[in-house]
Amino acid sequence: MNYSAIRNLAICVWSVLAFVLTTVAANSEPGNVEQGEAVYIKRCLQCHGDEGDGLGPAAEFLNPPPRDFTLGLFKFKTTAFDEDLPNDEDLLRMIRDGMPGTAMPGWSDMLSEQDMIDVVAYIKTFAELEGEPESQLDYGTQVKTSDESIAAGKILFEEGDRCTECHGVEGKGNAIKKLKNDNGERTWPRNLTKPWTFRAGNDPKKIFARVSTGIPTTQMPSFSDPKSSKKLSIEERWHVANYVASLAKVENVVNPENFVIQADRLESGLPTSPDDKAWKDAPSSTFIMVPQIVGKQRFFLTANDTISARALYDDKKIAIYLEWDDRTKSIPGDAKAASIADENLSEDAVAIQFPLTIPEGMEKPYFLMGDSTNPVSLWRWSSGTSEQPETGTIIDAKGIGDQQPRDDSGDLSIASSYLNGTWRVVMTRLLTTETPENDLQFEEGRFVPVAFFAWDGSNSEAGTAHAMTTWYWLQLKPAADSKPLIYAIIAALLVGAMLFWWARGAQSRNKVNA
Amino acid sequence: MRIPRLLQAVLVFAGVYFGFIIVFDYLLGAVIPKSLLTMYMFFVAAGVFMVFTYDEEDTRELVAPVKALVEDPAKRGIRNIVFTLIPLMVGYFVYDQMQPGFEAPVELRTIHPAPPSTAKIYGQRVNLLSLENPYRKLEKEDPEEFAAMVNDGAAVYIKNCQYCHGDKLDGKGPYAEGLNPTPLNFQDVGTIAQLQESYLFWRIATGGPGLPKEAAPWISSMPVWQNFLSEEEIWKVILFLYDYTGHQPRSWEHE
Repeated sequence: MNYSAIRNLAICVWSVLAFVLTTVAANSEPGNVEQGEAVYIKRCLQCHGDEGDGLGPAAEFLNPPPRDFTLGLFKFKTTAFDEDLPNDEDLLRMIRDGMPGTAMPGWSDMLSEQDMIDVVAYIKTFAELEGEPESQLDYGTQVKTSDESIAAGKILFEEGDRCTECHGVEGKGNAIKKLKNDNGERTWPRNLTKPWTFRAGNDPKKIFARVSTGIPTTQMPSFSDPKSSKKLSIEERWHVANYVASLAKVENVVNPENFVIQADRLESGLPTSPDDKAWKDAPSSTFIMVPQIVGKQRFFLTANDTISARALYDDKKIAIYLEWDDRTKSIPGDAKAASIADENLSEDAVAIQFPLTIPEGMEKPYFLMGDSTNPVSLWRWSSGTSEQPETGTIIDAKGIGDQQPRDDSGDLSIASSYLNGTWRVVMTRLLTTETPENDLQFEEGRFVPVAFFAWDGSNSEAGTAHAMTTWYWLQLKPAADSKPLIYAIIAALLVGAMLFWWARGAQSRNKVNA
Repeated sequence: MRIPRLLQAVLVFAGVYFGFIIVFDYLLGAVIPKSLLTMYMFFVAAGVFMVFTYDEEDTRELVAPVKALVEDPAKRGIRNIVFTLIPLMVGYFVYDQMQPGFEAPVELRTIHPAPPSTAKIYGQRVNLLSLENPYRKLEKEDPEEFAAMVNDGAAVYIKNCQYCHGDKLDGKGPYAEGLNPTPLNFQDVGTIAQLQESYLFWRIATGGPGLPKEAAPWISSMPVWQNFLSEEEIWKVILFLYDYTGHQPRSWEHE
């Protein structure tokens, strides 16, 4: 094919594409306010309210709260930082794709494109937004991600505490100051290592937009504002965006197919400290945590969404390592902790739940702290106060309302460390105890139900206000033995002998025939 | 060139095997369970064997290459190779099968268990067979009042249910992914569209712990709503579920 043929083909393809695009665009009419109102009443009003003020019936239970459209300010937009008006496409995107990590779902499977365009037109009327935005966000030339760009971004991220002031050194949002939105409500800086919680997209281009425009109505500033002492050039903002994108967790992310924590057997010397290198080789399983909204008192606004677990055992004991991001080290009595925390500062805590016996059939205790016929025991670690060190307690529970902490938690030992927005806790117990009626007796190879609970004491989490998982499994992986190898050799020899016998028989028959 | 009968048989078998995988795993997006595939392939193997050994000549042609491999002195080299590989493969297979499994135990539970004829709700024994939604009749008698009831139900739903069942009633609320079993999708024609309002009332009021054993009450995260909501609120939220999804509740009258 020569050059002109290629060019002709390209022109053809381009014309078809242009035709399709213009036809599609022509099919979407400008938003119709009346029709948008009808859709709004049916689909949006329950959260955003009939006045568009975000004061629907569920407002107080939602974090973040539903947007108040009467302000005319939107958090996620691609117009210039000093332009309040968003592009229609910005609003459309929020409706179409929803906001990950919030109660706002994507509507594209339920509403037509035209319905959504109409809703955009209608919600703009709450603040009487009219006309076109005057200036757009300038993306310049995108700097593709590279080791150099990420390194440059890291320096800018940390320089003069530009981003680390709120997002922390490793970007986990481990704040050193208390944040609130324009409405006076508590907000927490984004944990940048969890890109699945980014509200408006997590690719570098979307992150570039957030860094450039800031997040209006919150304390996230614009870094393109020339008046800002921390301002960044377009190129620098691309470096920061590439760095932020590179912070995404690769370890300790949820694998929805995995329900089992596998405990490897060590010959001796279980690691008792969370910093021990032995934990690096233990497989990690990460599970989603949800707020405790099942039993009284329900709590809707937990701070954390995942917990990672590893386990190791030897001939006597089992050690379980837990790791979860927590923006605050909550130590009651500590002035610095109190300055960041909600009004009532409690200890951070985590608990591992086991049944009292390994179930023989399907039946397990009720996942939320057992029930009267099927009790559970919880191994609970608390972070301690300024006056008292961390504690480990065994709690016997027969439901969320019936928890009895033991006076003597005997063989439970604990250790923890907190660094840059992450707690790491190790709890160790005997595999078997002398009181099998009170304690689970671990057995190699068996699947043991296990569940987790976590409390962020700076986020008003205490008592029944906590995050939790459903039941998962812990399995003590039997040490490798020689049985499979022996059976494999026997099987191979048997088959080999049979084949040999067959061939010999066939050949001798041939000879006889000949 | 004619394909040897033995190769034909192997090709047919392999074709069906990969056909299953392509259709189920890729086209339908529902991975075919290994045990089911094994069972299917057992029948396929039996079928292929019957077809290819239909008469004596066929059979002879089919086994000719095998026979030659075993008997023909000229094929000694290849015979030695094959006869070494087969035991090795068997050995490997046995070794692999003997490795301890780390798959979580399979738990089968009934999603919509048969309801009991009576249940204790709000401290009273309720006959679920005759129980009706007291507000349903307003749909015809007083549409305006009915719409107000649906609206009340919507508020109950948004305050209490959407966290798991979702703003769109599709079972994909913000916390759905952390739960097992996952919350029901009311939009689906296989859920509330198949059920009577009394069934929903029972399920909502007594929640996960009110399930019979075959439905694994110990893992359901459905709260016991009679501890949180009034009887009226439950009936109203049921009106909302049907109104929003456009489904009709089942009733004795239509059947």
